[in-house]
Amino acid sequence: MTTNAELSTGAATAARLSWGRLRKLVLTVLIAAVFVHAWTDTHISVSEFFSSFHNLVRLVGEMFPPSSGVLDSSIHAAILTFDTALLATAAAFVIALLLTPLAARNITPHRSVYEITRAVIGFLRSIPLLISGLLFLVVVGPTPFAGVLALTVETVGVLPKLYAEAIEEMDMGPVDALRVSGARRTQVFLHGVLPAVTPTFVGLVIYRMDSNVRSALVLSAFGAGGIGFLLYQSIELFQWQQVGAELIVMLVLVLLVERASIFIRSRIS
Amino acid sequence: MLELAGLKKAYGRREILKGVGVAVRPGELTVILGANGSGKSTLLRCAMRLIEPDDGEMTLCGHDLRRARGDDLRRARRHAAMVFQQVLVVRRRTSLENVAFGALGELPLRRSLSTKLFPAELRARALDSLDRVGLADFAAQRAGTLSGGQAQRVAVARALCQQARVILADEPVASLDPRAAESVLALLADVAKNENLGVLVVLHQPELARRYADRLVGFFEGQISFDRAPTNVTDDEIEALYGNDDDER
Repeated sequence: MTTNAELSTGAATAARLSWGRLRKLVLTVLIAAVFVHAWTDTHISVSEFFSSFHNLVRLVGEMFPPSSGVLDSSIHAAILTFDTALLATAAAFVIALLLTPLAARNITPHRSVYEITRAVIGFLRSIPLLISGLLFLVVVGPTPFAGVLALTVETVGVLPKLYAEAIEEMDMGPVDALRVSGARRTQVFLHGVLPAVTPTFVGLVIYRMDSNVRSALVLSAFGAGGIGFLLYQSIELFQWQQVGAELIVMLVLVLLVERASIFIRSRIS
Repeated sequence: MLELAGLKKAYGRREILKGVGVAVRPGELTVILGANGSGKSTLLRCAMRLIEPDDGEMTLCGHDLRRARGDDLRRARRHAAMVFQQVLVVRRRTSLENVAFGALGELPLRRSLSTKLFPAELRARALDSLDRVGLADFAAQRAGTLSGGQAQRVAVARALCQQARVILADEPVASLDPRAAESVLALLADVAKNENLGVLVVLHQPELARRYADRLVGFFEGQISFDRAPTNVTDDEIEALYGNDDDER
């Protein structure tokens, strides 16, 4: 026979279950509403895509055979794009090495230094690349230098944060052993911290280089010089065979950098 | 040599050290026994101010560690070296470099920016320290490729190269097999006697402690329950430190 106590326990369980179901339902509806809003907000139209798909096919067709006349200038512009990314990554790497010891909670000289450094890094990270790119184009003129500056700012917003997190997660034993032995802060960083995180640091900077090459392609279309700019001009002039050649050079550049990045990171690990 | 008196440390309302006092004397190997969480490691870290104690006094070779700041603290710490629970050497450096790191504090910054700039005298001293722990043949080998026992010997050699007067070892044999554990303990006892160093070791192996220690300190819930020669400590007293938790040992 069922007792009163068992009945009340059963009722409480049922109430908990129905409340749980209701919460799940509300959550599902909310998530669905967010997606529906995003869909309508961006004017997505599947029918439009399929009805205009033939335009894309036609465009790609017009790119062939790619123009060999722009090959030289495309390769030169691709190298310029690579140089932009290389210099920005190198500059950001040096700045990151200086900021990282201040931005890692476990080795920072003072809590306030940590907070300020993290705030500066966070601020730099919050500036969209295109905005900083346009700003530097105005400041230093439409040259690849503007691209270098914009990419440096963006990378400084990312690298020290990732580096500091790597240090915060490292085994502090060797560091404590050096601290106890009376080593200075710089000595502890050079001989206790850096050897432990070097593979991570190098892996991350190589990855950023890879990503900066792609960002430099976009920036160059806005006037910072490089293959993106050539591509933009060719599209403006409806020179589709030139666009074809430039896209191929761009693809080769991205693939080469990506392969090199994967190779170097695999060697390090 | 190292005098700890009335050390207190609490995390929130949880008291880890309740006014602990221990003296580490030259030529003596002192072993602290106690269950996990009884505050042994916190004591060692507070002693060197890797963790700031809430109260108490720490005197190392005449230096008041509690009140020392900046360079004074750094110089005072040079009299002590720590060997940690996990095998902690800088794995990507050679054994010799790891040993030489013990003397970083006495080098000017410009001579310590790279291991290549270390003075020849320091390299010779590091090699001699490695020789004293029986690892001279491994000087050029990366520390990461050494066995656990060898790496702990490198840590002891680093203390010798540092010319520390006190070695604090936090469960130095925890990750070693019995044979390696025995050899590391024997080495610590040996450097205490032959180098006239004060050695304080946190251990979980009462049998090893009885065999090598000159003094046993029992630690229970943040307080010292006994501090005397191993022959004067009964098995029951040691058993009482661990309560019913056999896993702790």
